[in-house]
Formats: sequence, C-alpha cells, structure tokens
Amino acid sequence: MASLIHCPHCGVRPKEEFSIRGDASLVRPDPEASDEAWHDYVHIRSNPRGRYREHWQHVAGCRRWLVVERDTFTHEVFSVTDGAATAREAGR
Amino acid sequence: MTMPYISRHPLENRLPLEPGIRAVDHMDVPRGTAIATVMAMDGEDAAVAAGLAVAGDMSLRFVAPGEWLAVSQSDTPEGLCRNLSLLLAETASVFDQSDGRVVLRLSGPNVRRILAKGIGIDLHPAVFEIGTSSNVLCGHISINLARTGENEFELIVMRSFAESLFDDLRLMGREFDLSADFSAQG
Ligand SMILES: [Zn+2]
Repeated sequence: MASLIHCPHCGVRPKEEFSIRGDASLVRPDPEASDEAWHDYVHIRSNPRGRYREHWQHVAGCRRWLVVERDTFTHEVFSVTDGAATAREAGR
Repeated sequence: MTMPYISRHPLENRLPLEPGIRAVDHMDVPRGTAIATVMAMDGEDAAVAAGLAVAGDMSLRFVAPGEWLAVSQSDTPEGLCRNLSLLLAETASVFDQSDGRVVLRLSGPNVRRILAKGIGIDLHPAVFEIGTSSNVLCGHISINLARTGENEFELIVMRSFAESLFDDLRLMGREFDLSADFSAQG
C-alpha cells in the first residue's frame, strides 16, 4: 500500500489520515449527453493495474481534496497536487 | 445551583478542580481559552495572512490554505472575534469556537516520545520548529498540534473528542508518569 503521501500543504503523512475518493481522471459529461455517457460517468470504473490518478481527501489534516498519481501495482507515488490547482490547469 | 451545560469543561469528570502534584512531564488544561476559526474569502488568502501577521494578543494555528485557528489566553471569546472581524473586515469569515474546542498543553523532557505514540509526523526539534502548527491525526482523533516552546506542545481538539483524547494521552504518558491538571491561571 502507498503508505506515505506528501500533502502539498501538510507535508509527509501516513495514509491513515486520508480518505480515498475515487478516480480523478473522469470528466463530467455535458448535461445533454446521452444516458449511456452519464451511466458510464456515474457507474462504470476501470480497475487498472499500474499508473492511476485518484482523489485523496486529507480528512485528518488540511481537509483538501488532492490528486494522487500512483502505481496500483508497485505502490510508487508519482505526484500529489491540490485538486483546485489541477482543476484550474485543466480549465475547469 | 443550575449551570448551563456549555459552561462545564468537558474534562471536569477526569480532573480534580484543585491542582495536584506536578510531574516533569505534565499536561496543563487551560479552562478559558478564546478560539476562533478564520477562513479567507476566495482569493483573499494573502491579504488575510498579512492582516493576521500584525494582529497582537493572539497566536495563530495553521489549519489549511486560507484557514487558521486564532487562540488567545488573555482575550474573551467576544473580544477576540470582534478584533478579528474589525481587522479582516470583508476578506475573511470569523467564527467563535471557544466552547467547541478544548486546549491541552503538554510539556516536559519526554513530550515528543509521548506524542510519537499517536502521531505520525516528524517531531524532531529541527523539523517541527517552535511556532509550527498543523492538523494531524493523534490515534484516531484529528487535532491541531502546535509547538509552543522548546519542549512544549499545544493540542486543540473538538469538544466531543476531548475526553477520549485525554484518556489516550494519559495512557501514552503513563510510562513517564505524566501528570494532568487544570491550569492554575484559569
Ligand atoms: Zn494536507
């Protein structure tokens, strides 16, 4: 398990301080998009072996939502960024 | 005599009202601490930080970007909130937390060894310097931890978790004979 997460606001913290909030790569479909597209967005998740972008909320620390990029197989953590910063970069 | 529930300190069932014998490692529980949360409005983080930097008579605890706890031993809860609201005007929201939070002050030569039993961050004096503060997990309870002196730390916890945290700290400090009392100065 990726047990130490480097929170950009709080520093290095054990994983027990976080709640995993799911896939961070999903993009919300247009409100008028098909039922199929919404069904996929709401319910369908891949379970990749390897590199994965996930929302981790630092519930016992700064309570911010973070985007953690990690490897689900090797447990290596590649990057941790604040969710708001990531959304700004993506222009959302 | 009838007393409003809120005027009871949550640790009154755990601590004698009169100070007892103090060991080298000690937990001091101040009764009357004014605490307020300060949350910066969107885009005002820097302005609020600058305003708080010149605010006297209070110490600041980092919670999150744009969010702090302001703590005062000398001011009243009303006074603290009034001063902060005047100082920060339209740049931040200020809320009184004095009845909602409890302060525990731990000091002594073994304080880091006691805290390390429940806290997963580096408390080395050169890393967690005097004046540093952060939200952190202690056991299963989220607290705000601040280093307030050479071997002194202040823990701020939500009122409803105070007894549980107090019991945990007692257990963590038992091998060092940690003593605990209400603060003499109130
Ligand atoms: Zn954090």
